[in-house]
Amino acid sequence: MNERELTTEELHDRLVAAEDTIRAIHLGEVDAVVVEGPGGPHVYTLHGADHLYRVLLEQMQEGTVSLDDEGLILYANPKFLAILGMSASSAIGSYFRRYVAPADLSAFDSLIDTAARHAHISGEVNLRSHDGTPIPVRLSVTRVDCSELQCVSLLVSDLREQIRNQAIVKEEQLSRLILDQAGEAIVVIDQEGTILRRSESARKLVGASVMLDRFDRVFPLTVSGVPLDAADILFRVRRRESIRGIEASMSHLDGRTLALLVSAGPLWNGEKELLGCVITLTDITELRRARDELVRQAQELARSNSDLRQFAYSASHDLREPLRQLAVFSELIQKRFGTALGKEGGDLIQHAVDGAHRMEKLLQDLLAYIQAADAPQEEPAQTDANEVVRKVLASFEVEASRMDAQIHYGPLPVLGVHEIHLVQLFQNLIGNALKYRAEGAPEIRIDAEPEEGLWKLSVEDNGIGIGPDYQKQIFGLFQRLHGGGKYSGSGIGLAICQKIVQRYGCKIWVESEPGRGSKFYFTLPGGNTR
Amino acid sequence: MSVDQIAVTLLLVEDSAADVYLVREALQAEGLRFRLEVAEDGEVASRILDRVEAEIDPPPHLALLDLNVPRKGGIQVLERMRRIPRCQRVPVIVISSSDSPVDRERALAAGAAEYFHKSSSLNEFMRLGRLVRALSGCFNSEPGS
Repeated sequence: MNERELTTEELHDRLVAAEDTIRAIHLGEVDAVVVEGPGGPHVYTLHGADHLYRVLLEQMQEGTVSLDDEGLILYANPKFLAILGMSASSAIGSYFRRYVAPADLSAFDSLIDTAARHAHISGEVNLRSHDGTPIPVRLSVTRVDCSELQCVSLLVSDLREQIRNQAIVKEEQLSRLILDQAGEAIVVIDQEGTILRRSESARKLVGASVMLDRFDRVFPLTVSGVPLDAADILFRVRRRESIRGIEASMSHLDGRTLALLVSAGPLWNGEKELLGCVITLTDITELRRARDELVRQAQELARSNSDLRQFAYSASHDLREPLRQLAVFSELIQKRFGTALGKEGGDLIQHAVDGAHRMEKLLQDLLAYIQAADAPQEEPAQTDANEVVRKVLASFEVEASRMDAQIHYGPLPVLGVHEIHLVQLFQNLIGNALKYRAEGAPEIRIDAEPEEGLWKLSVEDNGIGIGPDYQKQIFGLFQRLHGGGKYSGSGIGLAICQKIVQRYGCKIWVESEPGRGSKFYFTLPGGNTR
Repeated sequence: MSVDQIAVTLLLVEDSAADVYLVREALQAEGLRFRLEVAEDGEVASRILDRVEAEIDPPPHLALLDLNVPRKGGIQVLERMRRIPRCQRVPVIVISSSDSPVDRERALAAGAAEYFHKSSSLNEFMRLGRLVRALSGCFNSEPGS
């Protein structure tokens, strides 16, 4: 083969190779072309170079969009489409402004304008997703001059994540603040009994930070001498047992023993997994001390009251004895030596007898008052008020008929009080109604009506009445409105009445006008209606 | 047998001389002939009852026991009497300045025939003589006979 033929053949081969290369390039089968040049081979990539950037854009975790100068979307990467929740086919070729929240359109326009003049600008706007939800984003706008094509590239950063993170931080700060503001010591432990969190009060309670410390070391609790440790608490909360307000003791590092109220609740992760628990410790040391002091004082008061009652009882009892003798012997003197004493001597002796009798009555009433103040030993009986009034009226029969008194009583209830108390009440009130009568014949009316779960009884008379200034005073001990001349009395009767109703947690009062009679009211519990 | 015909022996357990005087007054006012043996406290009463139990002395026809005497109270003396066969039927009046129904019931439950409240009224006190006379039907014929 001659040299010419060889060259033609070689050229032909080269042509075929070149055509193949071009076809391959056309078909996109070539990533790079190696061309021999003066300084050695040069590698030219065609599609490959573009492909790398394209992959970069496609996989980028920020949204990117390019717009033409009309604002039409030329390209949008998957992240951007994901932010808006839309497909590429619906996004590309549409106006970007469509996806800007209406309120932020002017801000967006101004970003684009500024970018046109200054090449680059960034700002925050709200986009809106296909369902109208606003999506806060940061837009970095860059003007791109690409030969004759004017376009704008947008870098879209979704701010929702960041805002969410800020919210979490805020919430965390808030719960921290709440924990620190709580008056109780609040401790969060994990399932190993290690302290994960604690309130400021918990830190103050033990005087140390205690974070990540063992709960049992920091809070050595005992209940009636038996240790209450983290394992116990966790065991119980896991079994969904309620731990609320258990009174526990704790030895403080400074040697004091604290009284604490312990409550605990589980921290469940979902349904099954126990993460730990929240333990609340309320320091009731002072409260308990105050309570103990109160109990002690109450006991002391009760003892002193009982001593006083005993004293008053003995005193009034023992005082009656010599008085009785004084009265009887005065009478005996009068009887035996009356003639020798003459009228004046007889009168003087009579004063002594009267004085002794008055004093005796006083002591008798005082005794009744003291007994009325005693706490009832047994459950109050069922007492028929009709029966009691009938009995009491019988005891006043002579007196009442002498005065021509009219006494009426309506149907009365059965009351849950001791009979003796009801007798004393009616004896005093009816006795007073007869005693403090006006000029005419006494008219007395006894009634009862239910009121607020109790019975309200009343004893009404047409007697001399009581002025408004004295309507409270008359219930005090030894309170008398009249001298002994016309109306004798010890001034204890109504005090006894008040004491009796107070024993049943009830009250007594009077409505009256001088000269127009009085109406005494008192409440008492009803009897058992079973 | 009439109490007016024989002198009756009465045991009075009473620490107050004034009341002893009044009891005498009440018995005299009723016209009773009586011999009063006074014990000023429960111990003295016990010693008297010892002699009765030992049959050295006869039992009294009637006993008047004050509820509140020193050492042994009236109820204790009453209980002691009820344990001595010769004294079991001797009528007893418990006397007291207390008018409490509780004291009255306690005395009657222990076997007293009567409970007498020492009144501050002379006339009331004099009723004691009538009470003793009313019980004279129960007097045992053994003593003093």
